[in-house]
Parts: sequence; C-alpha cells; structure tokens
Amino acid sequence: MAAREIGTRTVSENPAIELRGVGKCFRLYRDINRSLKERVVNWRKRGYDLFWALRGVDLTVFQGETLGVIGPNGSGKSTMLRLMTRIMKPDEGSITTYGTIAALLELGAGFHPDLTGRENIYLNASILGLRRKDLEGVFQEIIDFSELGPFIDNQVKNYSSGMYVRLGFSIAININPDILLIDEVLAVGDESFQAKCLDRIMRLQNDGKTIVLVTHDADLAASISHRVLWLENGGVKMLGDPQEVVEAYHQAMRMRPEGSEFGNREIVIEKVEILNAEGEPAREFRTGDPMILAMEYTAHRPIEDPVFGYGIYDHLGFMVHGTNTRLRGLDIPRVEGKGRVEFHLASLPMLDGRYYVSVAAHTRDGMVNYHWLDKLFFFDIVSSGVERGFLTIDTDIRLL
Amino acid sequence: MKENLRRLVSYRELLYNLVLKEVKVKYKNSVLGFLWSMVNPIMMLAVYYVAFGIIFKLRALGMTRYEFFLLSGILPWNFFSLSLIQSVSSVVNNADLVKKVYFPREVLPLSYLGAASFHFLLQELVLLFFLLVFRVRLTPWIFAFPLVMLLEMVFIAGLSLYLASFNVYFRDVQHFTEILLLAWFWMTPIVYPISFIRDNFPLWAQRIYLLNPMAHVALLWQRVTYNSPANGPQAAYFSAAGLLYTVLLSVFLLVSGYYLFTRMEGRFAEFI
Repeated sequence: MAAREIGTRTVSENPAIELRGVGKCFRLYRDINRSLKERVVNWRKRGYDLFWALRGVDLTVFQGETLGVIGPNGSGKSTMLRLMTRIMKPDEGSITTYGTIAALLELGAGFHPDLTGRENIYLNASILGLRRKDLEGVFQEIIDFSELGPFIDNQVKNYSSGMYVRLGFSIAININPDILLIDEVLAVGDESFQAKCLDRIMRLQNDGKTIVLVTHDADLAASISHRVLWLENGGVKMLGDPQEVVEAYHQAMRMRPEGSEFGNREIVIEKVEILNAEGEPAREFRTGDPMILAMEYTAHRPIEDPVFGYGIYDHLGFMVHGTNTRLRGLDIPRVEGKGRVEFHLASLPMLDGRYYVSVAAHTRDGMVNYHWLDKLFFFDIVSSGVERGFLTIDTDIRLL
Repeated sequence: MKENLRRLVSYRELLYNLVLKEVKVKYKNSVLGFLWSMVNPIMMLAVYYVAFGIIFKLRALGMTRYEFFLLSGILPWNFFSLSLIQSVSSVVNNADLVKKVYFPREVLPLSYLGAASFHFLLQELVLLFFLLVFRVRLTPWIFAFPLVMLLEMVFIAGLSLYLASFNVYFRDVQHFTEILLLAWFWMTPIVYPISFIRDNFPLWAQRIYLLNPMAHVALLWQRVTYNSPANGPQAAYFSAAGLLYTVLLSVFLLVSGYYLFTRMEGRFAEFI
C-alpha cells in the first residue's frame, strides 16, 4: 500500500499502536472502605460504582505519526495514555504496540531527593527502561539539555522546582524510544525551555518517531500533529485533520454552557429535547408558555426503583425550579432497555433571560447517580415587558 | 509466566539500580556511611557478651559462646524481618512510580530484598571476623554459606511477593506483618537453642514447631556460623526431612507468589 500523505510529511501505513474496542472501567468507591474487617463485615455490599472512563475505542496510530489528543476534563485522555503505556490493563478490547515505548506522564517520577542529579539520571533512566550502555551515549546530552551544569552533582532536594522538571524532561526526551507518549508535560520551565522542548519534539518527528501527545492546548496539538483525536465521554468524538478537528472542538466548547456530566451510566440519558406546545423542538419561549421536557434513556441492565428528574437554573446557577418522579409520588418499579420520560410543564412563569436545564437519573435515595447531565441544555424566555423581576404574577390593577 | 520472566530479565538493570539506590540512600548524610551496617553487629556482640556472658552466665545451657550463638541466629532473622517489612509496603510506598511509569512491579519488593542482602553480607563478614579473632572453630559447614543464604532469599522473596500484592488491596497486611514477626521471632530457635524445645515439649508439639520454615533456616545458620563441637552439642540439630520441607516450601512460595503478583499487578495502579 502506498504511504499516506498527511500535510507535507509522509507517514507509513504500518501501525505503531492499535486499539481495538478498548474499554476501561473504574470502580468509584463510595467511601474508604478498605480495611479487612470492614470488608468481611460488609462483604455482600458492593461498595463501589462502575465508571467507564473509556469505551469502544478503535484507533490506529501509524508509525512516524504524531497524534494529538484533545478533549475536556474527564474525557478519558489520560486513561488512554496509561493504557498505551501498560500501566493499566484494559477491561475490554485489546491494545497492540509495535516498538519500544517511553512515556512522559510525570517528570521526575522516582527521583530520590537524597541522591545527586547525576545519580538520579542513572536511576530514572533505568526506570524508564533505558539500558546503561545506551545511556552512556546520551548522558552528556541530558546534562547539557537540562542546563543544570555544575549543579548536576548536587542533591536533588536542593534543586528548584524548575531545575527538577528540566532534569526530568531531559532524561525522558533523551530515552529515544520508537513511540513517545506525552501527557501535558510541555508546560514546564520558562519560555525558552519550552521552545527547546518543542524543537526537540520536531527533531523526533523528523527521525520518524511515533508521538502521542495529550494536551489541553488544542492549538498546540493542531500545530505539531499530523492528526488530532477528540475524545469525549470516553469515546472518539472526532478524528482527522488537525485544523478541522480543533476548529470543531473550539466551536463545541464555546457553544457549551458551563455544564458537565457524571454518573455510572447504568442508565444513560441518550437524548434530551426541549419542546413547545406543538411538540416541536424550541429554544425560545414566551412567559406563560407551556413546555415539554423529554428525555430518552437506555438502561443497560434491569434497574430497580430509579428516579428521573430535572432542574431549571438561571444564568447565575441558582435553581429556579426542579422536581423528580419520586417527589411527585410516581414510583417506577423497574426499567430496562430503552424508554422515554416526558415532563409537561403547564406554564413557564419566569421573565426574560437564558435558563439552563439539568436532567438526571439516580437511585431512590439519591446516593448513586446513573447519569446526570448538568446544565447542558438551555432555552430563552422573552416576556411581554410589563413586569420586572424573576416571575410573572397575574396582577389586576384597580384604580379606586 | 515465561514472558513475565523475560520482561523481568530485561529490567535487571532497573533492579540493580534500585538496590544501589537503597544501599546509597540508607546511610546518605551520615559520616560512617555503610560502616554502620558493620558497627551494628559489633555492638550487638559486645552487648550480648556483657549481658549473657557476664551478667546472666548462660553457660548452664551448655553453650560456651552464647553471644556467638545468638548472633548466628539473630543476624539472619534481622535480614528476614527487615526485608519483609520493607517489601510488604514497597508497592504502596512507591505509588507515584507505579501510577506514572510502566515497569515490572516485582522489582520493587525484590529491590528491598537486594539491599537487605547487601547489609546482611556485611554483617556476616563482621561475625566471621570475630569468630576468627575469638578462635571459635569453624566447620566445613561454612562452605554451605551461599546455599543457605540463597535458601533464605528464596523464602523471603516468595513471602514478600504474596504480602506486597495483598497489601495493595488491604493495607492491614503491613500492620499484621509487624505483629506476626514479633510472635514469629519467639517461635524460632534464635534466643534459645533447639534442645530447649526438644527436652521440654511432647513430640506432637515439636512437630508443629518444626513446621516453621524459619526454624530450619535459623538452625542451618547456626550450623554455618556457630556449631562446632567445642561450643556444646545442644545446638546440633539437623533433619534432612526438615531441610527438604523448607526448600520445597520456599520454592513453592516463590513460584506461586510470583504468579500471583504478576496476575494482580495490572490493577495495582488503580488501587493505590
């Protein structure tokens, strides 16, 4: 097969990292319940919720390619990197890597404060998997790159934090693996050191190394990557041309109100609709209009006694109104598979402004959230302008 | 298993460097440095000599050189207990490494064993030196030194792998180990000679007593560095069956402990 052309650089068709249907599930412990005695006493209770940090990810990183990984907090970026380094094992699917891997997840992990910089180079390099005979060749370069000069024979505990990370970065970048995984570590040191690091990464690119770079800085990802992967909620949202992906990402981040989502996803709220009286999707309402709030959900296993609810917040984040099926005395004995819940609001009493909507599915006691979409939706209200404040009140004025 | 072993071999330099780190760090910023490892047994010898040789006069037990007898057992015991205590919490105490860097996690407990072995060797050298100075006659058993040491290392390594992996899930293990060692010490013929057990307890109790693998290890060490006819026959006790049992148990612990550890290490990063 012909080599694929990405930008001006040529990337081979041979895979460096292959992810096939990869999923990683964490147990979120409800409280620290880890002593033997408590486990024996509470052995029947499952003291944790399951949380899929990553699920169903298929991805091939090609040799010589630089892949930028972006996404909001909690989207699974770091988890993916840890799976690639084999620090963690996937619960589903498989990961195959070709060639040696080095990861820059944290600089100077494993430095011992009582040892000198030089001694720590030997120790840290071998932790990162570098052989002594390979280290000899780059030893001087590590010292030069770190700009530590004479301080290299001082104990690391006397280093400034800048010196500390510079040394860590110098070691990691000089390991010279086939695949380099980088997690948010480029933001170290002063500007000139950062420029040096970027310069060094470009040199690695020219040497045909495969690089996976996780960063919050989407523009940085766009500028040095061949392709950009956008992760969201543990899945691939978009993958492809850096400019396109980053642009779409920026747009989505701007569109998004200050919201987030969480929960163990045993019930997933797949779709939320804000509808007008005719049942059509609407963004704008008049004061006094009715509204239908509809959510479509999927329960991945039979769930006993769930509660569905919603909340409406003003632009400052104060709850204007909210209720749920339990408060309204509606018992749902059990759900499984797909379903739809509609809340029919007879009349919206609020005056002008933008209002944000949260929807949630949780247990009866509210202790475990299946899925909580926090202020991810909004609608606007326009009033007739005859009132001030928050609410409309039917007022009859009599002049006597 | 085979693949795991190959991986461990490829990381041998890391193991070496971690051992070196432990050795260096232990006496960093001290004037005498690793000489402290040697001062320790000298002081013990002096204290025991005064306490048991002069004050308590334990010759009644039939041992002319009680201080050497005690040291023969207590140095290997300290090696065992120090190594075990450090190994048990090794994975948990290196949480930042385990979470951030990939490497075979078994090098963590093994590195503490390596460092403890180094200190133990220094201490044994001191003991041998004083045996020569005080003209305590050595027997050909001295040539078994490396084998006995190997046996003890295998036993420690096996037990460490078990306890270190359990400790990730239940931190109680490290506290439990400390208590266990306290009781274990007195269930091992270190302070008293084995003849004390033989002469005072019924046969079934002796059988149970000898299920303790450390008892056999201690008896072997007493053979290697103490037992000569001149020191009284009471210390002489050797059972081929007991030795075989200890060797088999140690090897079994190491193989199964390694298997268990490598099976469990995939989730270590999530639990610490």
